[in-house]
Amino acid sequence: MSSIATSPPPPAPSPSPRPVSKFEFNLLRITRFLLGHFPADQGLQLIRAAVPQPPCLSRNAVELVKDTLAKAMVLFLVRAGGWRNETFLRGSAPVPGRVWQRIPLEERILQLSQPVLEFLIWLTAEKVHDSKKAWDATPETLTPADELFFALAFDAIRHDPQLLPVLRRRAAFQRNPFCWLLAPGDLTAPENQPPQLPDFRPLFHEQRAVFLECLQRHLEQRWINHERTKGQISDWSKMRQVGHAEYATLRQYLEAADGARRHDLARFILRTNAAILSLNPTLAFWTGGLQGSGPPRLADRLETQRAALAVPRQMELLREWQARARVVAFFDDDYAASQLWKSEWEAVHGDRLVEQAQAVLATLEPLRGPGTTTRPHPGTDDAEMGSSTDRPE
Amino acid sequence: MSRAYRITVKESESRHLKAGDEICTQLELLEILPPEDMATLLREELKRRGFEEQDDGTLIRRDGDVTVKVDPCTGEVSVKAETEAQITQEAKREATGFNDVGPTERSLRERVKEQLKQDLERQFEHEQSKLQSQATEKLEKHLQDLTPEINDVVNQVTRDALKQKAQQLGTVKEISEDAESGSLTIKIEV
Repeated sequence: MSSIATSPPPPAPSPSPRPVSKFEFNLLRITRFLLGHFPADQGLQLIRAAVPQPPCLSRNAVELVKDTLAKAMVLFLVRAGGWRNETFLRGSAPVPGRVWQRIPLEERILQLSQPVLEFLIWLTAEKVHDSKKAWDATPETLTPADELFFALAFDAIRHDPQLLPVLRRRAAFQRNPFCWLLAPGDLTAPENQPPQLPDFRPLFHEQRAVFLECLQRHLEQRWINHERTKGQISDWSKMRQVGHAEYATLRQYLEAADGARRHDLARFILRTNAAILSLNPTLAFWTGGLQGSGPPRLADRLETQRAALAVPRQMELLREWQARARVVAFFDDDYAASQLWKSEWEAVHGDRLVEQAQAVLATLEPLRGPGTTTRPHPGTDDAEMGSSTDRPE
Repeated sequence: MSRAYRITVKESESRHLKAGDEICTQLELLEILPPEDMATLLREELKRRGFEEQDDGTLIRRDGDVTVKVDPCTGEVSVKAETEAQITQEAKREATGFNDVGPTERSLRERVKEQLKQDLERQFEHEQSKLQSQATEKLEKHLQDLTPEINDVVNQVTRDALKQKAQQLGTVKEISEDAESGSLTIKIEV
């Protein structure tokens, strides 16, 4: 009996890192930071520093940037919610599955264009907070993937108080609806009243709608965090500015969703309300951090407090949607879509949420109940200031 | 030889200052009857309480410096307080100059006048904020007085609407009201 001993094939040599220049190395690290794969403090430091720009990028660098963008953006969308087995409307029929099961491949191809690379070069070459070069991108020329990339970039950089004002002046961010959905309060400057919002209608078509489907859970968590941190805002004018921006963003988004018959894409607003209102919060949950007695005019104080309740105020509109969905008949075109909305509404006990939202909002309404809520103090039980009109039954 | 001189400049100004504060809210009316009928009931009740109907259909009542306006069709209520006053402010400043060094008398006088203007502006701003506080205090106080009245109006309109609705449903046999608890019982025969 003979046996032939064969040695296993030698392992393929691991490719050595591709050589890139100092500028390109920084550019790659900034790219990774913007997409959440590099520490924020180091990434922001790189953006604040300037490195002399070479006449052109090497092939190695361009390929690495392409590879990073392609992998990181897909990874972000999948992690944000694309992996979830959820149901969304396609046409007017609900389609269940993960994003790659619901959406054909040709609609999932991300196309990034020249402004993205120009932006990365600008971030690397300039001190962004002290930039001499007026970089910007025309929103009309951006692809859906570009818009998403710029929104992620804005989200990564906005925590730096010096960089934020520089970015929010640029049309690539200011007129980007994804940016508004992620951080409306950071896109409005105190002097911009009322906020100048972009058109939200394109969001509900083609690839942007696919992004929104993936982002539902991400947006839900984001808005829950917004609501939770609102109670820490101490400045009345800041609260007013943030509240106005949030209210206007959500209202325009919902109106656009209604126009496009994509109520399923308002899921994150419904669920945010469910998460917050299920805690039975009082007014102090939102306004408890406000310091001092506020503006001298009662009207301004009231407006600030109303602005703080931007999210629960959307329940009124969602209730109208529910009322409309209830009367859609079996033979109507929108029957399947309305059934999907009703199931979502019932899953979060929508009617109860409306009552809870109304109860909180009523505490702000003057001329209801024995007293008025004009100057809340931290720790005050606002429920006591609420209304209880004796009504004959 | 250098000679010192002192300039005294006085300025006084009179201004008519106005301040106001306003809140808007919505009446909580139940939809017992069609909106037009509810609006009619509300209109009648408000008229009984001294509100005057305007050309645009709204009802207004003036209680001193406070104006209450109700739109019976939409149920919107606005309460506005205004204060105004004729305020005269005086300011005085002195400055010392030298005839041979430093600014000339004219430029010194101009500079002092400019400072006086700023002083006056500050004083008027202070007066304006005082007036504003007064207006807001008036509004807050009036809201406390107005709240029970508005509640009564809403309750009365609701009661009237229920009675009308009961009449539409059948023959009213008995109506009993308890003013203390606010309960209303209507027995009807259908």
